[in-house]
Amino acid sequence: MNTIRAWFTKTGEASYISHLDLQRVMGRAMRRAKLPVWYSKGFNPHIYMTFALPLPLGQESLVESVDFRSEEENLDFEAMAKALSEALPRGIDVKKMYLADTDAAKIASAKYQVRVPGDWTKAIEQYNALSEAIVEKKTKRGTKPLNLKEQIPSVESWLRDGQTCFTLTLPAGSSGLNLNPTLLLQYLQEQYGLPVSTAEILRVAIYTEDGNKFLGE
Amino acid sequence: MFNETLKAALAAVQKPGRYTGGEPGCVYKDKTQLDLRFAFCFPDTYEVGMSFLGMKILYEELNKNPRWWCERAFMPWVDMKEEMEKRNIPLYCLESKDPLTDFDIVGFTLQYELSYTNILAMLDMAGIPLRAADRGEDMPLIVAGGPCVCNAEPLADFFDMMMLGEGEEQLPAVCELTVKAKKEGWSKKKLLRAMADIPGCYVPSLYQVNYFEDGRVKEILPLDGVPAVVTKAIIKDMNTQPIPTNFIVPMVGAVHDRGQIEVLRGCVRGCRFCQAGFLYRPMRERNADMLNKGAQDLCGSTGYDEVSLTSLSTSDHSQLETLLDEMLEWTPEQHVNIALPSLRIDNFSESLIEKTTKVRKSGLTFAPEAGTQRLRDVINKNITWEEIEKSCRIAFEAGYTGVKLYFMMGLPTETMEDIEGIAETAQKIVDLYYQNPNKPKGRGVQVTISVSCFVPKPHTPFQFCPQDTKEMLEAKQKHLVSSVKSKKITVRYHDSKTSFLEAVFAKGDRRLGAVLEEAYRRGCYFDGWDDQFKYDTWLEVFRDLGVDMEFYANRFIPTDEVTPWEHLHYGVTKRYLISEYENALKAQTTPPCNRHCAGCGANKLLGGACFEYNTSMVH
Repeated sequence: MNTIRAWFTKTGEASYISHLDLQRVMGRAMRRAKLPVWYSKGFNPHIYMTFALPLPLGQESLVESVDFRSEEENLDFEAMAKALSEALPRGIDVKKMYLADTDAAKIASAKYQVRVPGDWTKAIEQYNALSEAIVEKKTKRGTKPLNLKEQIPSVESWLRDGQTCFTLTLPAGSSGLNLNPTLLLQYLQEQYGLPVSTAEILRVAIYTEDGNKFLGE
Repeated sequence: MFNETLKAALAAVQKPGRYTGGEPGCVYKDKTQLDLRFAFCFPDTYEVGMSFLGMKILYEELNKNPRWWCERAFMPWVDMKEEMEKRNIPLYCLESKDPLTDFDIVGFTLQYELSYTNILAMLDMAGIPLRAADRGEDMPLIVAGGPCVCNAEPLADFFDMMMLGEGEEQLPAVCELTVKAKKEGWSKKKLLRAMADIPGCYVPSLYQVNYFEDGRVKEILPLDGVPAVVTKAIIKDMNTQPIPTNFIVPMVGAVHDRGQIEVLRGCVRGCRFCQAGFLYRPMRERNADMLNKGAQDLCGSTGYDEVSLTSLSTSDHSQLETLLDEMLEWTPEQHVNIALPSLRIDNFSESLIEKTTKVRKSGLTFAPEAGTQRLRDVINKNITWEEIEKSCRIAFEAGYTGVKLYFMMGLPTETMEDIEGIAETAQKIVDLYYQNPNKPKGRGVQVTISVSCFVPKPHTPFQFCPQDTKEMLEAKQKHLVSSVKSKKITVRYHDSKTSFLEAVFAKGDRRLGAVLEEAYRRGCYFDGWDDQFKYDTWLEVFRDLGVDMEFYANRFIPTDEVTPWEHLHYGVTKRYLISEYENALKAQTTPPCNRHCAGCGANKLLGGACFEYNTSMVH
């Protein structure tokens, strides 16, 4: 039995597919593409699928992945990737398919590109000058205060086509702290009026603990 | 128009995937290469609309033409409506994100009376004047189809044209004519007059309704030489109609998120309360081979792992067992489950249950509709307690531990004894479960009885009947709850207020148009959703406009009175409806029409007999 990883993007309209819905969309696409996927045994057989790092609704990503299993050997990954891509809605493109090498449990951080309409570079400079930026972070047991400055000491931003742009590398993964870029954006909205609802967030790389790329160009 | 403004709105609402389009199976076309743009509007939420097979049929049918583009629009939920209004986003179609005003034809499907206000809301959100008379030449043609067209007189002022019957051939004819009118620069008036000659096309403005002083309809006069009676369009042979296999597969879960194959259209049973049973006559089947291939293609193109064999009464298909056998050759291997959503209690067999549970076991639902044999005979639901008992025994022996039963209350001639009969029927089923020696150890039975309020509907033998008043229905609900003694029985019943409003609009006339518009202006929409239904506002509107709700819902209509739908013909003669009404009062049943023709008149639509009675297979 092999575990196969499909690296895919989730952009445009597809960024509004929730994680729960994505599981169903992916399962159906695998069936449409007639991939030789393995079904769990039992009363209610289903395709065994795991997604590396669920993406919040409305954010875009170039680095999503799903693992599935197959009992067949000598698979033509290129043809499978193409067939799956064609079966998926637009905005989800399968970039590559390969035998899952790195354990998704090793994911430690993710890199995001953020674009916000308007010039917010001054606001971000003000943020950079702060010694403390406390936000409430939702956890499984209610909310708890978190000092953003410990994770994001400073942000380097620039203006392009009337948009304020910056990149963030934030802790991510199934163990330890997981930071969503909207935490910073919401703070910037509360403090300086930056419009969160029109911000575009694009995940561009995922890294493991040792600094290697889990996914990314 | 997938722009910043729309994105900001999407960021602020629940389940934004309902408003983005882009699902697998979605059709995109080059706007510069088109003769016609059609907006298919479903006046309820995305989740409800995407379950609707009719849209899939017509979406595929219209988009077959490379020069036409059919797109979809749904009623945005309350939060999205607010966001769109706040940001001046007009209602748009999901594929192109273009506003409805960019389309040549905007077509609504009328599935349910309580979605009427949503139609007004959708037009309003698109910036389209509500009343046909207020719309200029630049506005799209606003049309309607679907079962409620059989008496959409309350909507007559808002629509340019309505289509009676089946749309597979009629709608393309309407589109062709519209393209011609566009090319030749016809006025809307000229186009509508020409449309009135297409079978089943009804142009409300070309019919004048005169009333008596007391509110009854006096006469309905055709104007400008249109046919005095509009007869529904029909597909004579279902085997000529390809099965839609390129469904748009919703990504946000639809209510019925599975493949659907329409095995037959119409129904042979003739239950007297059932509007669909009269509107879709005569019953026409598709053959098993075609259905099997359709199901296979559908699962292949959509990736669905469940396919439902849809119709008004699937177990009446003469080749059902053959079809299931053919399907079972490939479904288990492909992990596909077969669902049979509308089984009848009287021909539910062991082999049928075995075949449908091969892959997965779903719930079991039966509809005895009434609690006593007398009342079942009145409504012509030709089933007996022995049949109910047999079906439930088979189900329990096959391992089912729950049964859901549908009933109605407020049926004509109903007494409190009939209400007690509902509770007794459920109790007998509970007892039956415990008599089964092989029942699973340690598991109790759960019998759910779901009771709706009867709404008399046009074109049925009960169209003449008054609906029980709200007070009567509430008393019956109370009595039912107090008649149920076992904890194994769960009673669910519907709010009688929504049923009352449904009855008013089901049998309403054109004077209700003003009521609809005013109710919408005062904030009524999504009336079919309990949490949005504003009953008090409705009562105020009716009172303020001086319109009597009881006149429509609770009044007996003499059989010789002109009904508001007298000019709309679905094949069944009024004489037949009257005779069936009289049979009902005598508790006399009428056999299914594949067994014996009762002479309803619908065979004229086919130009011959509906069945070959000497060869017809009867279950």
